[in-house]
Amino acid sequence: MDFYFGLAQLIGVHTLLGLSAYVVLLTGQVSLAQAGFFAIGAYVAAMLTVLAGWHLVPALGAAALTGATTACAVGFPALRVKGLMLVIATLAFGEGVRLFFFNFDYQIARGDVKVGPLGGEGFRQIRFFPENGWTTLEVMLFIWIFVLLVMALLWWLDRSRYGAVLRAVGEDELAAQSAGINLTAVKVSAITLGGAIAALGGGLYAHYATHIEHLSFGILLATFAIAYPIVGGLASVFGTLAAVLFVQGFLVEGLRDLGDWRNLLFGALIVLAMNLRPRGFLDAGNLRAIKRLFWGGGRGAP
Amino acid sequence: MLDLLQSASDGVLYGATYALIGIGFTLVFGVMHKINMAYGAASVGGAYLGLMVLKLGAGLPVPLVFFGSFLAGGLLGWMVYLACFHFIPLSSPLATLMSTVGMLLLIDEVIVHTTDGMPQNYPALFDDVMLRFGEFTLRGDLLLVFLVSVACMAGLLALLYRTRLGLATRAVSQQAIAAQLCGIRLAQVNVTTFVITGLLGGIAGAMIGAAVGTLSPLLTTPLTVKGLIVTVIGGLGSVPGAIVAGLLVGGFENVIQLYRGVTERDLYVMLLLFAFLVFRPGGLFAPAGGRN
Repeated sequence: MDFYFGLAQLIGVHTLLGLSAYVVLLTGQVSLAQAGFFAIGAYVAAMLTVLAGWHLVPALGAAALTGATTACAVGFPALRVKGLMLVIATLAFGEGVRLFFFNFDYQIARGDVKVGPLGGEGFRQIRFFPENGWTTLEVMLFIWIFVLLVMALLWWLDRSRYGAVLRAVGEDELAAQSAGINLTAVKVSAITLGGAIAALGGGLYAHYATHIEHLSFGILLATFAIAYPIVGGLASVFGTLAAVLFVQGFLVEGLRDLGDWRNLLFGALIVLAMNLRPRGFLDAGNLRAIKRLFWGGGRGAP
Repeated sequence: MLDLLQSASDGVLYGATYALIGIGFTLVFGVMHKINMAYGAASVGGAYLGLMVLKLGAGLPVPLVFFGSFLAGGLLGWMVYLACFHFIPLSSPLATLMSTVGMLLLIDEVIVHTTDGMPQNYPALFDDVMLRFGEFTLRGDLLLVFLVSVACMAGLLALLYRTRLGLATRAVSQQAIAAQLCGIRLAQVNVTTFVITGLLGGIAGAMIGAAVGTLSPLLTTPLTVKGLIVTVIGGLGSVPGAIVAGLLVGGFENVIQLYRGVTERDLYVMLLLFAFLVFRPGGLFAPAGGRN
C-alpha cells in the first residue's frame, strides 16, 4: 500500500509543478524556469528545517516566498523578450540555478555528522518526516492538501477578473494592450505566482525524497513542467492533473514492466499526442462535452 | 597571458561547432518561426548513424564517417519535420514545441538503447598534428573541426544568397504570405530547410565527436542549450549572428574554464546570455525593426 501512497506523493508534487507552468502558459509565455524555482524551493525549505530547525509549514511558506521573489526578479529582465526568446532565457535561468546548486556548499556539524547541501553530492538527511514520526499516508495527505488548495485557488482565479486578464494576454497581446491591460504587470505577476507554486512543490519534494541533488532539477524536469499543461490542455486546471496522472501514473508506473522500452515509448507518445490533439487532452470543446455529461445540457452553453 | 590566448583560440576553434548548431536553430526559426528543440539530439544522432556506417563496412576510409553523418543528419532532419511539424497546424506553437521536445527524448533514448548507454569512440583526424608558433600551439584535430565547419558555413551562405532555393528561403523568412503569393510553395521550403539544417547538424555532430573523441548521449542536452544560447546572442533568425556568437561563446567558455574550472564554466555562459538579454535583447545582429 505504501507504494501507492508514494506514487500519490509524486503525482501531487508534479501536479504542483505542472500548475506553476500552467499559470505562466495562460499568458501565452512558455517558461522553462519552473524547475529552477522548484529547486530553489527544495533547497530553501530543506535548509530551514534541517539547518535552522524550523517546522515544515513556515519553511514551506518561506520557500514559496523566496520562489516568488526570485521569479519576480527574473521576470522583469526576462519578459523584455517574448515568445521563443523567453523559452531560451528561462531555460538558461533554470540551468543557471541548477549549476549554482552544483557549486553550492553550506554544511554545519550536527553531532558527529555534517548536514547541509554539499555541491555535486547533493543535500542528504532531510529527515523532517521520519524524525516527527509521520507515516507515508500522512505525508501523502499533507501534500495533497496543498495540491487541492492550489488547484482551488487557480480554479477560482480562472473565474475571476484576473483570470480573464491572463487569458486575454495569452490570446492576443496587442488586443489586450489596446484594452488597457498592462502587459508587463500581468506577465510578471503570473510568473511570480508560478514561482511561488513551483517553490512550494519543491519544498514538499525535498522532504518526502529526503535527499536532493542538482541532477534532479535539470532540463528534463523543466520540460515535464510545461509538458503537463500542454499535453493536458490549457482550458482548465484539471487538464494538468489529467496529464500528470497519464504521464506519472500510466507512462512511468503503469508501463514499468516494459523496462527499457518505456523510455522509448515516452517520447514517441508525446509526439503522437501532440499530432493527434495539438491543443491538449482537455480543450475547450472537450470540457464542454464533459460538463454536459455531468450537469446536463443546461450549463453547456459556450 | 599566453594561457589566456591559448585557451581562447582553442575555444574559438571548438566554437565553430556551436556556430553550426546555432545556424540550424536560427534557420528553422527564420523560416517557420518555430523552435526545433530536437535539433541538437538529431545532430548527435546523425553522428551516431555515421559511426555505424563505419562500423558496418570495416575498412572504409575514415573521412567517410563524416560524409555518412552528413547524410544521416539530413535524413533525421526530414524525419523530425514529418513527425513534429507536418501534421500539426501552424497556429498552435505550443504543440510543435512539445512534439520536438518529445522527439528529443525519443532520439536520446534510441541512442541509449542501441549503444547500452556506453560512450562510443569516434575517429579523430590529425590529432597528432600540432602547429607550433613558439609557445603557442594549434591542435590539428580542432583546426580540422574549424576548417570543415567554416567550409560548411560558406557552402550554406552561398546556397542562401546565390541560388533560387536560397532566394525562396529568404523570401519565406521575410514574409511567408507574400512569398506564397509569388508562387513559392511554403511546405516545400519548410521541408528543404529542415533537410539543410539536418545536413549541417550531422556535420556538427561529427565534428563534436572528432573534437571530443567520443560520442555519448550526454552530449545532447548541453549541445541543445549552447545552440539555443548562441542563437539568442547572435539574434534570432540571423545566420551571420549565429556564426559570430558561436565562436564568441566557444572562446568565452574556454577562458572561463581556465580561470574558474569546469564546474562553474556553464554558469558564466548563462550569465553572458542574461547580460545580452538585459542590455541587447535583440542579439548581436538584431534584424531591423518592423519584423517580429
